[in-house]
Amino acid sequence: MTTIRAFGLTHVGRVRESNEDQFFIGTLHKVLEVQQTSLESKEAFDYFTRTDAQLLVVADGVGGSAGGRRASRIAVHTLTTYLSQTAGCYTGFDVEQEDEFLLRLEKALTRAHEVVRSVGTETGGPATTLTLAVVIGPRAYLAHVGDSRAYHFRGDRLRQVTRDQTMGEFLADEGALTEEQARAGPLSNVLSSAIGGSEMLPAIGVLDLQPKDTLLLCTDGLTKHVDDEAIKAMVAAGGSAEQVCRALVDAALAGGGTDNVTVVVARAS
Amino acid sequence: MIQKKVCMVGFFATGKTCLVRRFVHSKFSEKYLSTVGVKIDRKEVAVDGQPVNLLLWDLEGRDGEQDLQLSYLRGASGVIYVVDGTRRETCTRLKELRHAVRAAVGDTPAVVALNKADLTDQWALTGADTDALAAFPWHVFTTSAKTGDGVEAAFLWLAENMVKAT
Repeated sequence: MTTIRAFGLTHVGRVRESNEDQFFIGTLHKVLEVQQTSLESKEAFDYFTRTDAQLLVVADGVGGSAGGRRASRIAVHTLTTYLSQTAGCYTGFDVEQEDEFLLRLEKALTRAHEVVRSVGTETGGPATTLTLAVVIGPRAYLAHVGDSRAYHFRGDRLRQVTRDQTMGEFLADEGALTEEQARAGPLSNVLSSAIGGSEMLPAIGVLDLQPKDTLLLCTDGLTKHVDDEAIKAMVAAGGSAEQVCRALVDAALAGGGTDNVTVVVARAS
Repeated sequence: MIQKKVCMVGFFATGKTCLVRRFVHSKFSEKYLSTVGVKIDRKEVAVDGQPVNLLLWDLEGRDGEQDLQLSYLRGASGVIYVVDGTRRETCTRLKELRHAVRAAVGDTPAVVALNKADLTDQWALTGADTDALAAFPWHVFTTSAKTGDGVEAAFLWLAENMVKAT
């Protein structure tokens, strides 16, 4: 069975005064603790006592330092609470349950969106990006809103799993901008979809992990300063999830650290 | 509500993601971004007046480095094989994909989408290629994610036949 070891790190950066990013790493357990039984074997219950799922989240608040931090905090808290209450009993591999679980994932994002919206003002309140992975080995369920990213590394290949939900990318999709213009222009920083924003369009995906794979979730404080080639080199260099996290954050700071930077690295074994 | 999982399979850059985007969002983009893993979308359609929720699993295209990952097919009620009409090998090698898919999910209703029909000047499929497809129990549609031609018809045919098969 594929298991993961995850580590997360966040840093305020070299320019900002406060950190509006958040991250979360947790496990969802289905627990049945056997106190006494006349049954011959307690082993029959092992299925119910193993770790069922690991939850990884990064979020990057926008809308002013206090508001952005509040939005990312509320979103991560609401999402993790919702998932722990509704998805904790999901153990995977049953098709009907999997469909249901995917729906719950979307509902968790919708719930986070509603709660963040409820604390905003009529003219538009704070908002946040959010990228999450629920890993029920070997399967990783990914959900994504905004321009934080998920990357997958296997062998010597690093690939961006998520697509940035920015106005720049939106216009490039429509053919109004080139890919280069979309990435370099000012619209690359304007979110076309965000938790708490006027539009919230979650993207849902699935990825089956293999031993030695790495999953990386990060906010744009990393990708503004560290390109995909450099990220790949650091992930490929080996070491623990913690070591990779520290290398990535150090590289973002060395590159200028103009934004808060947050990374979660999960190594599969 | 009835829910059906549909898997989009094919070699890389045949237009699987574009077909889903056209069907779900009525949009098309020239930009090519390869899918990593699976991208999942939903769309509700009506079959004999009954709502059916299609769960569209857009699988990463098979290329030299990445084989079709059969675990993603589990539970599929229907399959859409996507061929790029401008790349003949994506059609002639379809049997390989069908063999792998059938081993994973058995005989489910299936569609072949001969995609990129708008690129008539680059069309590479011969009459013999399309005749060869007739030997298999799937329904063949000519589609263009760019213009929308044939897209709705392909998905709706599959939806109807998945419901009939239950």
